[in-house]
Amino acid sequence: MSSATPDGIALRPRRQINFQAFGIYIAAIVLFIVLGLLNPNFLTAGNLRDVAVSASVNAIIGIGLTFVIITGGIDLSVGAIASFVGIVSATLMVNGGIPPAMGLIAGIILGIVCGAVNGLLITKLRLPPFIATLGTMSVFQGCAYVATNGKPVYDVPKEFVLLLNSYVLGIPVVVIVVAVVAVGAGLLLRKTVFGQNVIAVGGSEETAWLSGVRVHRVKIAVYCLAGGLSALGGLVIVARINAAQPDAGSPYQLTAIAAAVIGGANLMGGEGRIAGTLVGAVILGALTNGLVLLNVPSFYEQIVTGLVVLIAVSLDQGSKGWPMLKRSNKKDLTAAPPTASTSAVRS
Amino acid sequence: MAEHLLVVRDIAKSFPGVRALDGVSFTLERGEIRTLAGENGAGKSTLLGILGGALRPDRGSITIDGVRRMEYTSRRALAEGVRIAQQEPAIVPQLSVEQNLLLGLTRQQRKASADDIDRALKDVAQMGFPMDARTPVSRLSPAQRHALTIARAFAFGAKIVALDEPTTSMLEHNVAEVLSRVREIAHGRGVGVIYVSHKMPEVMSVSDTVVVLRDGKPAFDRPITETSSDDIVRRMVGRELLSFERQHPVDPAAPVHFEASEVSHPTSSAPLSISVRKGEVVGIAGLVGSGRTEFLRSIIRADEGSRSNVTIAGKSVKIRSPRDSRTAGIAFIPEDRKAQGLVLQTPAYANVALTADGQLNGFGPFISKKKQIAMAEAMGKRMSLRPANVTLNARQFSGGNQQKLVIAKWIWLGATVYLFDEPTKGVDVGGKVEIYELIDQLASEGNAVIVVSSDLPEIISISDRVLVMRAGEFVSEHTGADINEHSIVANAMGVSSVSPQNEAALAASVPSPERTDPADTGADAFGAAKGTS
Repeated sequence: MSSATPDGIALRPRRQINFQAFGIYIAAIVLFIVLGLLNPNFLTAGNLRDVAVSASVNAIIGIGLTFVIITGGIDLSVGAIASFVGIVSATLMVNGGIPPAMGLIAGIILGIVCGAVNGLLITKLRLPPFIATLGTMSVFQGCAYVATNGKPVYDVPKEFVLLLNSYVLGIPVVVIVVAVVAVGAGLLLRKTVFGQNVIAVGGSEETAWLSGVRVHRVKIAVYCLAGGLSALGGLVIVARINAAQPDAGSPYQLTAIAAAVIGGANLMGGEGRIAGTLVGAVILGALTNGLVLLNVPSFYEQIVTGLVVLIAVSLDQGSKGWPMLKRSNKKDLTAAPPTASTSAVRS
Repeated sequence: MAEHLLVVRDIAKSFPGVRALDGVSFTLERGEIRTLAGENGAGKSTLLGILGGALRPDRGSITIDGVRRMEYTSRRALAEGVRIAQQEPAIVPQLSVEQNLLLGLTRQQRKASADDIDRALKDVAQMGFPMDARTPVSRLSPAQRHALTIARAFAFGAKIVALDEPTTSMLEHNVAEVLSRVREIAHGRGVGVIYVSHKMPEVMSVSDTVVVLRDGKPAFDRPITETSSDDIVRRMVGRELLSFERQHPVDPAAPVHFEASEVSHPTSSAPLSISVRKGEVVGIAGLVGSGRTEFLRSIIRADEGSRSNVTIAGKSVKIRSPRDSRTAGIAFIPEDRKAQGLVLQTPAYANVALTADGQLNGFGPFISKKKQIAMAEAMGKRMSLRPANVTLNARQFSGGNQQKLVIAKWIWLGATVYLFDEPTKGVDVGGKVEIYELIDQLASEGNAVIVVSSDLPEIISISDRVLVMRAGEFVSEHTGADINEHSIVANAMGVSSVSPQNEAALAASVPSPERTDPADTGADAFGAAKGTS
């Protein structure tokens, strides 16, 4: 049988996965070193903590999105869900007088419900995810405005702010929250039947369906997960600015997608890593922070963010043409020689 | 003495886990048609990829017209006049015939190309596919598109042309014309042709010489006049061909294990039923489009609007989705294993574990990768999976071994009913035999097996009983000596006695039919299958 297959080969696929994740880590480290050289204040403990905090919302929302993207879907409504949940929870706590913990839970449940709406539209009505969530994005955002007539909610209870915006042993609570979410999400994706099914649905939906995977259930679940985590992200925003703005979540709409994509999530489905998304969020946070430290006018931030996304995706997708990547990535390119030659050879 | 047109020397190419080519050398002269033969996975596609410049060999050299090419890229290959005509025509349906011919040429080349276009159009016409330069390619038939691809390969200063399975979509009389035209062009214009095909009769009629690849090595290199199709096939497989014979035919007294009634599909006419005994293999034959795939998919309720009443071992089971059918122990092995059977970019073991629902968990809700791998390895061992390394991605296995992975995901789960749809489509000769052995083994273990196949010798050799489907209905049932090509074809076509033309038409519609001329059957491992009339 495979006496011809040397043992060393068994390790290669794993080595390749490591390498891809590696590329992002290297990019992040290089970015930190460069920013540190340009401004010594960047690498101080206090500033790194700020970077971590500012990356947290993108990280939380991006992790939920990573699941959606792995199934081959997309969720454009995450920012709107964050805004909507922030407003509703804040109103419940300020005007309804419910305790902060309950406000938090109610908000997350509302986020899951919003996600379920997305999931049902996509599975039961068979709307393309882009269209379904484009619609619900507008609806949820509208709901956020309608809830308070467009007015922000101030004076969020101090206990709630402390719940998400304080320090434990010098570590910001949000960073701990991100760590818990990331570990949980990593286990869910890599170590459970559900996670394997998510990857299978994204890799080949028909295969998953014919193998007895409940495809609709898996899809609804990932949108619920994205909704729930967007809600958590929205609540973190409320705690950080001590108020709920009806459009607080909209800046995160696309940056969260960017974090996932920089982290290697493939919009065609089947690929994506939690650790990658985390690093993607950190890269975006470091850039924002670093540009401020370097006195770059804030308008440039969006340009830089956009360029980073373009570069990251080009490197990932176009790694075939990048000689340094070529040696390790050859497998993907050529594992199926007929396919590779079909696409590359023209007569 | 002039140099060789092309010298390929000691080419080697490895992909992770697979040595695709290992020291391949051959030469090609002007006007020579050289067949490149070999099983799937023998390295033919890789070699064409290297010739076209899309892949870089690990070692070895390519010498064209006596000049050794160092920086050999696709662009270089094109400039040298090397043209690879892919199996899937690389043409743009929205553009016209002429625009497709001109695709990829620079402005200067276009200016100088008027004659070439005329000549290419004349070539297609002589192949039996006359077409107008302004016709959009979307209006051409698949066969016409293939002809156009061939003509394009020979146009614009081609010196070396590789044709990869150029005739798959053509009928037999077209094939003859195309091949004779290819010979004329090659000999008349001094073009060297590398011809890749699985169809031995074509190979015998078109080639001057043949080189057989086996496991990435050249196994055989001869002028075609000094060999025979049987000889070539034997060199491809590296052993004598076996005609497969069931080792465990069904026990006539075995009880019925699987019954499906009221099976209907939104596209089908009347509800159907079927029953299969323990250890029985029921073959379903019929023309492509007769509703066989829909029948299987309806049993497991894969499509919306399909219906079925299923009874297994005397108990009625409720099936509303493939999920329920999995729970009931019904395995469906689909026709298109790349798109429907596997998740190609995930490891083999994850594909095998795709049917798991906690059985392979370790601690609590967490899966155990170790258990999944161990189980996949055990399955791989049982089916002699090659390579045996189940952490490789499913993509990296050959067709036959991919099929084993698809089957494995049901075997470990303990499915007792196996529905195969074209189980050996795109599987090479050696792989076919292994899959037949597996089917025989599954039956011998008391499972119920249904096999839908367009490969007549396959149906004949593995089935205990054959049902013929025509236009969505079962029209006949065959057992024993009645399982023969003649009566199956007659019923599939809906004629009481088969005229030679009809038989040829059916033969053209199935992938590897037997021909009446015994010399033609060499291509097929099952030319000698039982029941040959």
